[in-house]
Amino acid sequence: MHSIPGQPTFALENKGKEIKTMTTTKRIEVILSPVETHWVGDGFKVHNFIPAAPGLDMQHMDPFILLDYNAPMRVPALRIPAGVGVHPHRGFETVTLAYQGKVQHHDSAGGGGIIETGDVQWMTAARGVLHKEYYETEWSKRGGIFHMVQLWVNLPAKDKMSEPRYQAIRNADMGRRLLADGKSFVEVIAGEYDGVKGPADTHSPVMLMNARLQEGAKADFSFPSNYNTGLLVVQGSALVNGQKAPTDHFVKFANEGETFTIEAVTDDTVVLVMSGEPLREPIVSYGPFVMNTRAQIQEAFDDFNQGKFGYLED
Amino acid sequence: MDLQTFDAFLASNIDIDPAIVARLTQTCRRMELKKGEFALRAGETCKHSFFVEHGLLKQYTIDEKGKEHILLFAPEYWFAANIETVHFGRPSDYFMEALEPTSILLLDQPLIDRLSEEFPAFRNFNSNLLHSQIQELQGRVTQLLSSSAEERYLDFTRRFPSLMLRVSQVQIAAYLGMTPEALSRVRRDLAKKWKK
Repeated sequence: MHSIPGQPTFALENKGKEIKTMTTTKRIEVILSPVETHWVGDGFKVHNFIPAAPGLDMQHMDPFILLDYNAPMRVPALRIPAGVGVHPHRGFETVTLAYQGKVQHHDSAGGGGIIETGDVQWMTAARGVLHKEYYETEWSKRGGIFHMVQLWVNLPAKDKMSEPRYQAIRNADMGRRLLADGKSFVEVIAGEYDGVKGPADTHSPVMLMNARLQEGAKADFSFPSNYNTGLLVVQGSALVNGQKAPTDHFVKFANEGETFTIEAVTDDTVVLVMSGEPLREPIVSYGPFVMNTRAQIQEAFDDFNQGKFGYLED
Repeated sequence: MDLQTFDAFLASNIDIDPAIVARLTQTCRRMELKKGEFALRAGETCKHSFFVEHGLLKQYTIDEKGKEHILLFAPEYWFAANIETVHFGRPSDYFMEALEPTSILLLDQPLIDRLSEEFPAFRNFNSNLLHSQIQELQGRVTQLLSSSAEERYLDFTRRFPSLMLRVSQVQIAAYLGMTPEALSRVRRDLAKKWKK
C-alpha cells in the first residue's frame, strides 16, 4: 500500500474481519533537526526533542512527554563509569533504548541490571522510585561508541500511584516482521506491526518499534489519526512519505490520516517509530515528577524528601 | 532580558508602580554566571547586594582543612548580600558561587536609598526582609546547637522542598553542618520508617 503524499489511498484494515476501510496518508507536520545538546549527569549528552522542540510539547505528543536522544558519541575508557546519580521519578514510565553501548542501573526497590546493546528497559516509575544510571562497568573500562534514546511515557491518572515495575526487554524477545527484501525488518517493542506483537505491557495504547532497513527497503505503517505519532531517524537516512528525513531528525505527523511509508536511503537505516493514543488528562510536571495537579507535585516533593521513595546509596 | 523579574517581584510584594521601579533599576548591572562561576570570592570587596533572577547561588566559606561550610542557598527571587563587605566595607568572608546557570541583578546602596526615599512601602518591605533574615539566622543557629540531624534535614526540606533535586547531598550536608555519611544515614532511616 505505497502511497503518494497527500493522496488518499485505500487499504485493507482489520484483515480478520474482512472490513474495507478507507485510509489516507498521514500528513507530516514538521521535520525537526536536532537542537544543541545538553548533558544529563556526566554520561549522557542529549538532544532533547520532546518537550522542548517547537510543536513537540507534552500536550502535542501526549502520551510521550520526553524524548532525549544521545546521538552516537565516542566515550573514552573510563575507570569510573559516567552517568546520572540518584534521582527520583513519579507518575510516568521511562523507556531506555541502548543502540550502542551498555547502561547499568540500580533502584531503591533493590532492582538493577544491565541494558545490553539492542535491548530496551521499560521502567514504570508510577508512585515512585529512586534510581541511578551509568555506563556498564566493563563497557566503560574499554570505552566506545555510545548511542541511546530515553523516552518518557505518561501514565493515566488511575495508574500514576501504582506499584513500580521493570520490564527488561531483550532484543531477542522483540517481535520481528521481515520485510519484502528478506533482509529488512521491523522490530516491535510495544504494540503491533502487521500482526506481530511487541513484548512490552503498556498502560494505554502505545506503539514503539524500530524499522531496521537496508537501502531501498520500504516499511508501511498505519496508526489511527488521533494517535500522536512521530519518528526519529537514529541511523542512516530515510524518505518518509517521499520527504527527506536525515540522520538524527525527528518527524512529527499531524493528526490527519493513518498511513505512512519509510524508505531507507542508505543501508543499515534505523528509524524509531512511536505512536500512542493521547491520554487527554491534565499534565503538571516539575523535573522528574509528572502528575495531574499542582497539589500532587507538592505531595511528590514531600514524599521524596521524607524518604517515601526509599533509599539508594549514591 | 529586561529588568522585569525584579520589577515584577517588587510590584507583587508591595504597592509600587513597576514602571517607576523599572526606571530606577534600568542602570543596574546584571551578571550572567555559568555553573561554577563566582559572583564574589572571599577576600574581595563588593558594594552590591544580589537579587537572583534565575538559577541558584551558594554562599560559603572554606576552612583550613579545605572543607566547605555553606551558609546560604539563594534560589530565584532571593536576595543575597555579604554584609561585611556591602555594609561594612571589609573584604568578603564568603564565596558566592553559581550552582546552576544563574542571572543576578546587582543592587547598590544608592538605589536602595532612592527606592526607600520614594516609596515608604519599599522601606517597610526592606526592613521586613532584614528582620526576616535575622530571624532565619537565629533559627539556624539554634538548630545547629540543639536539633537532631533528622530534624535539621526535615526542616530544610520543608523550607526548600525542591532543592534536594538541584543540589548534591554533599552540599546539603555542608549546609546542615553534618557529614555526607550522617545525611545518608538520616535519609536511609527515614526510608526504613516508611517501608514498615
